[in-house]
Amino acid sequence: MESNAYTRTAIVRTVKNAPAGYLDLTIEEPAIAGAARPGQFVMLRFGRTLDPILPRPFDIVETVGNGRSFRLIIKIVGAATRLLESVRTGDEVRVTGPLGAPITDFNCRSLALLVRGCGAAAVIAFLQEARRRGIAVHSVLSASSASKFILRDEFAALSDTLILATDDGSAGEKALGTDVLRRLLAERKVDRVYSCGGGPFYLPFLEEWERSKISPVYLFLESYMACGFGHCHGCAVPRRDGGYSLVCRDGPLFRLSEVKDPCLIYQ
Amino acid sequence: MPDLSVTLAGVKLKNPILPASGTLETVDTPMLAGDLSQLGALVNKTVTRDRRDGNPPPRVWETAAGMLNSVGIPSIGIDEFMKGGLPRLRARNDRIIVSIAGFSVREFVELAETVAAAGLADFIELNLSCPNLESGVLWSTDSGLLAEVVGGVRRAVNVPLIAKLSPNVTDIAEMAAVAESAGADALGLVNTFRGLAIDVRVKKPALGNTTGGLSGPAVKPLALYAVWSSYRRVRIPIVGMGGICSWRDAIEFMLAGATAVAVGMYNFVEPGCMWEIRDGIDRYLAENGFNGAKDIIGLAHRNQ
Repeated sequence: MESNAYTRTAIVRTVKNAPAGYLDLTIEEPAIAGAARPGQFVMLRFGRTLDPILPRPFDIVETVGNGRSFRLIIKIVGAATRLLESVRTGDEVRVTGPLGAPITDFNCRSLALLVRGCGAAAVIAFLQEARRRGIAVHSVLSASSASKFILRDEFAALSDTLILATDDGSAGEKALGTDVLRRLLAERKVDRVYSCGGGPFYLPFLEEWERSKISPVYLFLESYMACGFGHCHGCAVPRRDGGYSLVCRDGPLFRLSEVKDPCLIYQ
Repeated sequence: MPDLSVTLAGVKLKNPILPASGTLETVDTPMLAGDLSQLGALVNKTVTRDRRDGNPPPRVWETAAGMLNSVGIPSIGIDEFMKGGLPRLRARNDRIIVSIAGFSVREFVELAETVAAAGLADFIELNLSCPNLESGVLWSTDSGLLAEVVGGVRRAVNVPLIAKLSPNVTDIAEMAAVAESAGADALGLVNTFRGLAIDVRVKKPALGNTTGGLSGPAVKPLALYAVWSSYRRVRIPIVGMGGICSWRDAIEFMLAGATAVAVGMYNFVEPGCMWEIRDGIDRYLAENGFNGAKDIIGLAHRNQ
């Protein structure tokens, strides 16, 4: 496979600390932004530290600034993302990308999408392309609380229907994301179901739906990985037919029926 | 302009920089890095006789200044490798090291014979030290087995042999001497150090295979000592590796006695690092008035 990925020193153009616990960054790097396609990600490193030493994978939310920049939304969870909290406009970061298999299969007329928390960052570019192709989008956006939604306005703009669900009832319905999706799928027929985030809590229902053969289920997966471009073989996800796929090279989007125990890496 | 070439076991390399096995896929994956023909040699991810899937995830875990991996040598198997992987590798560089691992002496010998018969390998690397295979490190932690496997392959093929050894021994110079006596033409020093991480959230080992191999800058002083002490003991050349991230690290290994140096984990962090390291060595040699890279091999011993 010929790659159009680059490793570059890029400039952080905007930094927003919103919502709490997240960073919303715009990074200027025309070569990477220009090559990015739906479903792709970058490996990013801030500061040439020895600990943390590895870059981290982040989904390219969307391309902005006339195609010269891209946007990342980063949940602060560990050492590398805490280090990123000190990033300021004008700072340099090392970025490799775009990485991952671009999503090219849009052969459907309608889709349902269940997204939890920061999983939203992985699907915006995909939804933009789906809408451009006239695909009807029905979204369920789930979070623990109203303050934990990210990209809520983007989802509203890109969805024909959008249902919000929170664990505490502070926004939308007080319901499990999968219960809302179950109801949505009972009410309207869709060609495909996509999900990102939610980890092991969503899988039982998604697997039940896949078995029903009404419409196929696709998952956006994430994993620990060292390189992001297929060399370290760290991000292995077991395949149902034996062996492993790599999240970085073969994904991040997988047909649920092709993978086995995605929870091992799906957090 | 300094001459970057070095001679490893009678084979000339255009420069001393190589990827460590398993850290630079050279076929079927995105090529992000520089021109592969400009490296001293290319090395495949270790190939086994049969197809192998590798170990269950998680397979990588970051540690302070390093990482643990328990990838476990996923392999397409020797037949597929000889048909597809090796010819494609060969097309990308004029020096190829074929890394093999067997689960018995007989398997090592048969793999080496298969590789040698094709005539496409300049060296065969015997991976005697994978900490993620059951009995993987045993080959180079038991001197009897080490002599048996190196000797067995030596008697079977004429291709130059690089014995890649485990650092998980009391005295690696002793094991280096055993490999030399058994007929190795060069040494690969060192493979990863067996280690462990525990994920405190789930309160169990972080890696799917429980233990892993530690690499990265954290191990560099340990690896450098292994090269240093082995250089004093053996006459065969050494490919030094373990935490090399910069030209300065590479120079340290060469001054300690390495004829060539392999970059491993840092290829994941900076895919272009090997070309930068090569250029840095070039500048260092020029600035210090050396005619060539071979002039600094083991120099730190003579300067003591």
